[in-house]
Amino acid sequence: MNPEVARLEELLARVRRNAALPRPARGVAPRAAQPAVSTPSPSPVAPIVAAPAPAAFSAPVVIPDPMPAPASVKPPAPAFNDTVDDLLADPFPASSAPQQAAPPEAAAPDAAFAETKEHISGVMPAAVAAEEPEELLEDDIVEMSPIAAAPVEAVVPAARSSLDELDFEDEESAQPTANEEEPPVSSSRSKVAGTMDEALAQAAAQMDEGREVPLKTPPPESGPQAAMPPMPAPAAPDMDELLEADILPVGANAGPTQEQLGQTIDLDDARGPRLELDHPQVALAEAAHEELEVSLPQREFGGGYQENLMPPPEARQDLDAHLQRVGDEAIAPPPESLAQLPSMQPGASASGMYAAQPTPAVTTESPTQAVSTVTVEAAANAEFAPELLARPELSPGPVAKFIRADAPRPSTFLELLDSSLALGRD
Amino acid sequence: MMSPRFDPSYALEFDLGRGQIRVANAAERVVVPSDALLALCQAANEEAVRDFGRRLGTEAGRALLGRLGDAGQASLEAVVEHLGGELALMGLGSLALERWGSALVLSLFHSPLGQAGDLLLGSVLEGAAQRAFGRDVVAAKLMRDGDQVRFLITSRMGADKAHGWLSSGVAWGEVLSRLVGSTRGVS
Repeated sequence: MNPEVARLEELLARVRRNAALPRPARGVAPRAAQPAVSTPSPSPVAPIVAAPAPAAFSAPVVIPDPMPAPASVKPPAPAFNDTVDDLLADPFPASSAPQQAAPPEAAAPDAAFAETKEHISGVMPAAVAAEEPEELLEDDIVEMSPIAAAPVEAVVPAARSSLDELDFEDEESAQPTANEEEPPVSSSRSKVAGTMDEALAQAAAQMDEGREVPLKTPPPESGPQAAMPPMPAPAAPDMDELLEADILPVGANAGPTQEQLGQTIDLDDARGPRLELDHPQVALAEAAHEELEVSLPQREFGGGYQENLMPPPEARQDLDAHLQRVGDEAIAPPPESLAQLPSMQPGASASGMYAAQPTPAVTTESPTQAVSTVTVEAAANAEFAPELLARPELSPGPVAKFIRADAPRPSTFLELLDSSLALGRD
Repeated sequence: MMSPRFDPSYALEFDLGRGQIRVANAAERVVVPSDALLALCQAANEEAVRDFGRRLGTEAGRALLGRLGDAGQASLEAVVEHLGGELALMGLGSLALERWGSALVLSLFHSPLGQAGDLLLGSVLEGAAQRAFGRDVVAAKLMRDGDQVRFLITSRMGADKAHGWLSSGVAWGEVLSRLVGSTRGVS
């Protein structure tokens, strides 16, 4: 018997046996569609996530459904471009089984499907490939959690490996999850709770599961947010702590070594920052007299006194005496010294003689019995300004000459005459 | 020696019958107006004025000797008193004496001749000293201040030095100081 025939028979038997077993939905993507997978993640789950090839025939792929979870989990469209190995490996793909869930529009592409049957070898014509969406929306890209990817992952080895390497035990352990409506955990948006109770219940459930509630950006419709409280001013550092922190310990080698004993040791410079005492002096001063002195009134109280404070009795007499002294000093000198100069008199003649003017009236007012105040009335017709005569400048020269009279006074005139006749003799 | 006081009593004798004026023990006098005499002196030359003045002084010195007797023993006060009295009788002013160290300075006040008669006054002093004391002296004018005029009574040499310093602008006090200082250094 031809060994190939025997092998084919054996293969057929295995196919029949496998066909009898219940099969989960599979999302096997044709090899030709793999390059269209937009998920760049190198994880082994990523290549089997998207199903761009059926997208050309199924509308849900291009619809930006915010909840694409069912579509993403839904098995792909009929694998019209499956290879022979795929067909042999899975002659009854699960993709054809759940057709009852397909929308009515899914029957429309039957004509195109019929046309593409010629490409069962897996080579997709360029026209068909051009109809594929160029890129996927973010919502269409679904990250598969281990739980959701488990059934699909079970199919992947079958698609990749050859018929000999098929392991049907994994497929048996897989559970169908195509119809599960639970959104994937990695969904960008979770289902919004309708009421507060539901939200609390979900949060409690998530906390119970040990999952960390992801931080969510508040939606824009959440309204104005409360302003952040101002940042508190940094507290004043404790000087004691700073001083203790800045002073570095000298260390274990601060002391002299055995070799340095008995010798002069040059001490290293002080390490650490230079300490500067920058305490305000005012604080020290205030603290100094805080307990020992009584603060005097400040400047704003200077000059103030109580209005009802009466002077002592003897102060009245001192005040009167002071006012009298001030009054005496305030009396101007007689005006005759300036305005009554002889040259200023209207009747002054060239010879220096002038007519006598009546003296100004003088009255005496005495506020007290001891002091008299003289009031002098100036002349009403004083039309001239006083003329001040300054003493002429003296000619430069000696003002006085003192001759020492050491010579005895002559007793007779003749002696003096003789001595004077002797002057000028060499 | 105490000198007698100057007594001008009956010093002038007016003989109205004869129309003469006489000074005691002296010749006749003529009373002339001072401005006329001054005009005459201004018209005359310096030597004539000096000679005229010396003659007037010689008359005063003679009168001094007649009052004092030995003029050489007369004191300063006596000379000033009697000489001054004679000059006052002549109407030439009031005499005063200043002693600046060893320098003799005679000054006249209230002379009616004024500054124009200083040369005449100095010549009167020279004539009186020559007649009373027998010394040839030169009265060098030091200064004039108002109605006071000062004369340095010295020799010709000393008078020339004083005139030289005065003409160069040296003050009269400095002139006296220089003269006295130079004489003290020499001696």
